[in-house]
Amino acid sequence: MSEKTLVEAINLALAHELAADRDVVVFGEDVGANGGVFRATIDLQSQFGVDRVFDTPLAENMIAGLAVGMAAQGLKPVAEIQFMGFIYAALDQLISHASRMRHRTQGRLTCPMVMRTPFGGGIHAPEHHSESTEALFAHIPGLRVVIPSSPQQAYGLLLASIRDPDPVVFLEPTRLYRLFKQEVVDDGKALPLDECFILREGRDVTLISWGAMLVETLKVANELAKRNIEAEIIDVATINPLDMDTILRSIEKTGRCVIVHEAVRTCGVGAEIAAQISEHALTSLLAPIQRVTGYDTIIPLPALEQYYLPSENRILQAIQKTLEYS
Amino acid sequence: MANQEKEVAQFTIHYTQYLDKHGNPTQPLPSLAEDPKQLVNLYRSMLVTRAFDEKSVKLQRMGKLGTFPSVLGQEAIGVGVGSVMRKEDVLCPNYRDYGAQFSHGVSMSELLVYWGGDERGSNFAKARQDFPVCIPIASQALHAVGAATAIKLRKESRVVVVMLGDGATSRGDFYEAMNVAGVWDLPVVFVVNNNQWAISMRREEQSRTKTLAQKGIAAGIWSEQIDGNDVFAVHEVTQAAIERAREAKGPTLIEALSYRMGDHTTADDASRYRDPSELEQHREEDPIKRLRYYLEQKGWWNDQKEQELHKEIEEEIETAVKEYLSNQPNTPESMFDHLFEKLPEPLVPQKEAVKRLYKGSKDE
Amino acid sequence: MKTFMLPDLGEGLAEAEIVEWYVKPGDKVESDQNLVSVETAKAHVDIPSPHAGVVVKTYGSPGDIVKTGSPLVDFEGDNAEPKEDAGAIVGTLESSDIVFPTATPGHAKATPAVRALAKELSVDLQSVEASGSDGTITRQDVLSASGKAECGFEPLKGARRTMSKTMSSSHESVVPVTIMDEAILSKEKKKDITLSLIKAIIEAVKVEPALNAWFDGHELARKIHSNIHLGLAVDTEAGLFVPVLHGVEGLENSAIRRRINEIKDQVQKRAISVEALQGATFILSNFGNFSGRFATPIVVPPMVAILGAGRLRELTSEQYKLPLSLTFDHRAVTGGEAARFLKAILDSLISN
Repeated sequence: MSEKTLVEAINLALAHELAADRDVVVFGEDVGANGGVFRATIDLQSQFGVDRVFDTPLAENMIAGLAVGMAAQGLKPVAEIQFMGFIYAALDQLISHASRMRHRTQGRLTCPMVMRTPFGGGIHAPEHHSESTEALFAHIPGLRVVIPSSPQQAYGLLLASIRDPDPVVFLEPTRLYRLFKQEVVDDGKALPLDECFILREGRDVTLISWGAMLVETLKVANELAKRNIEAEIIDVATINPLDMDTILRSIEKTGRCVIVHEAVRTCGVGAEIAAQISEHALTSLLAPIQRVTGYDTIIPLPALEQYYLPSENRILQAIQKTLEYS
Repeated sequence: MANQEKEVAQFTIHYTQYLDKHGNPTQPLPSLAEDPKQLVNLYRSMLVTRAFDEKSVKLQRMGKLGTFPSVLGQEAIGVGVGSVMRKEDVLCPNYRDYGAQFSHGVSMSELLVYWGGDERGSNFAKARQDFPVCIPIASQALHAVGAATAIKLRKESRVVVVMLGDGATSRGDFYEAMNVAGVWDLPVVFVVNNNQWAISMRREEQSRTKTLAQKGIAAGIWSEQIDGNDVFAVHEVTQAAIERAREAKGPTLIEALSYRMGDHTTADDASRYRDPSELEQHREEDPIKRLRYYLEQKGWWNDQKEQELHKEIEEEIETAVKEYLSNQPNTPESMFDHLFEKLPEPLVPQKEAVKRLYKGSKDE
Repeated sequence: MKTFMLPDLGEGLAEAEIVEWYVKPGDKVESDQNLVSVETAKAHVDIPSPHAGVVVKTYGSPGDIVKTGSPLVDFEGDNAEPKEDAGAIVGTLESSDIVFPTATPGHAKATPAVRALAKELSVDLQSVEASGSDGTITRQDVLSASGKAECGFEPLKGARRTMSKTMSSSHESVVPVTIMDEAILSKEKKKDITLSLIKAIIEAVKVEPALNAWFDGHELARKIHSNIHLGLAVDTEAGLFVPVLHGVEGLENSAIRRRINEIKDQVQKRAISVEALQGATFILSNFGNFSGRFATPIVVPPMVAILGAGRLRELTSEQYKLPLSLTFDHRAVTGGEAARFLKAILDSLISN
């Protein structure tokens, strides 16, 4: 009865928190009467009024800056940037101010804001609508980067992000918005931040991913199970601060690791995870760590997009490499 | 058919001045002019700002303070603005607004600690909700409208004042802030200190417009220009703007004309791009001298009082400097503090490692 | 298609329980035709259709609890305008029936068997106290956390559920102080104690109106009421009800007594209207029928006071002692105000 898509789960979480906390306000372009271009904020304005859910003029840095100012005054702004491709204009306010306000004033002023945006490719969209540059934000101290992979994760992690006293960049995989449903109970229970999640237990190989790529990763794992190869799947969820504990425990168990992300290979978050695994679990490794990623090029327009994004085949090949190594 | 052209919009920018550079009235004076107590307060505040400024530059030259941006010659703007703000109002300064900051409760030693390179200087003991010094140009304008939005949503009777330089008016943040302030009718006052210089770029190189004030017209907000070296004008016009905002009658942009008598910062040498003779012309327009002329003409000031005040201020500055110099640097591992409310687990080992590495040493 | 949400059935009612559906998918309904019967905190309510239309889907079965604002009925529109909401400004969002597993947080250390048990019992591993070595969650930990299957817990419904929520929320905000005293009741007054108490309250409100007020703890603001809407605590098999005598200060004694009888009857018959259960500015709880002298009755926000009357005892042949407990919310009422209020009650009860 309460089966929700990821975007519906987002809506549910926003509605819950708007009702529970008077300081929460939701704003961005087209989020009011239109309910957001993906309907993430549908019916919120009619339910909570224009003082809580409102549209802004078209200016992304302004949206981020407004959030910084409001948060300093004790509101809990949940701002939307329509697509990650347009968040770059807001980097100044996010990096120069949101991530620093607490540190700059030694805790006197803080920044409990959430900036949510649809991200990632695979939706056959025009240029700039398929960005996956989470590594940019992961590199900034003072920012949390959170990526849900399912409706349940979206509900619980968004609640946690809104309640968190520090800024969160909440990246919603556009491809997953309506891809599948899950039972989501509107019980107001947040999921933990700064923790990885285990999607599937296994003893033969550790697959680490986040966002939409978990769908392909899961499919591959189910295929492998038919051949009696049990893959353990870790959903990183909070990209920074990284929960290496969960990851390392898994590596100790399986000895083999494949990291999957659609973002560009060079300096992607996979590189950080791989570096830390070799730093802390070298002797557990039975094979070099494999990364299956987007290529070091601009993500192509729809005609060639399928060749860019990591496919089930590429993931399978990488796993096979680790299995065949020793 | 003849093409019917009709004007659909016009604009006018008013300029306000009460005292000319000799301290003589150029129009009927406001009631402030008959209030010696308040005027002496303003005068004092300007002298404090200047003395603090001079001392800070000296400290920097002695290697006891980091890079410092002097506000020499522009004291009337900060002091005038600060004098009409209420305690519960919010100030969003740039980095040259000491006069306003002092009036609003920031202490001299706090600013010295900040410019000395210690974040603890921004943890204001009194002005708890004011924004800290802002380095990225004009970005404070967006914080100001964010704070003003929170104030408006909560129906509070508070105003946000944001101060910017002339260079800042070229930046997107400035336009975006004014635009949203206008369309949302926010309780905010934008004060532009047009001291004619953005490091080495003259005002004319910054924008083609005749005034910077008219940029507010583009946002549909009340915009005017004043003589920023005339503390009467700063006081009256800013007060009116603040009260307009407080009564929910909309935001204002005030362009205060002044001149930057010092270098951009202590790391700048203006003689590379500016003829020193230019300074002499503008020395005549000094805001402190101007008010002194007026006070003396009214018989409310004299040399003796001047001497006494200087002595008093010197002592005040010395106390602040002493406090600053006795400030012990924070521990090396403190750089991990206040990153988040609670330091995330992955960072705890890093902090411990730094602590161990520098154990026993005082400074980096 | 239009979705009709469960409307707000009265101030602060957050949910309702479906009792009986009067329509089913496919039915054509008129505007105002009753769609469903629900039970709110205290009463049965029929919900009429907001417009004419054809029912496409009904949400929930009898016994299900529906939250205010959540979907109740889907209608087909009258105009053939099934405009598909693309719900995407660019690109195509696909949908499929992938079954995606529920993820468990990495830090919850538990073996697969224990995880499976937790899933079966709907236990959130995050909230379980781990008693195993190395912080592992054991099977017993999960069983203890679930409580349900092992201890026979049944979810509360109706008036009991409401009482539970109200009392919890009161506890979270109110700062209660109870002052107690014994009133001397004349024989005359004893004939109808409830009425005498109500009259005494009316007198006391004249002396100290501060106790007939509503308090907003968030804004720190107070609304002193000129009318007295007196809530009378009534105990029934189904739970605690507090019907309200609106504007009791303007009623004649006989009218008050008549109204008390009316509402008590309605409560017993579960026929009390929603309005009759709302708007109270002061509550009287006559709990002493069986036992209990003094008590610490609970103030129900937004009210700021409640008067509890305990077991009556004979003092002399002409006089009786009635223990009184006045709880007030010290965020909004001072001790002096409460004491003077109580004194006024005592004075009213002892007089004839």
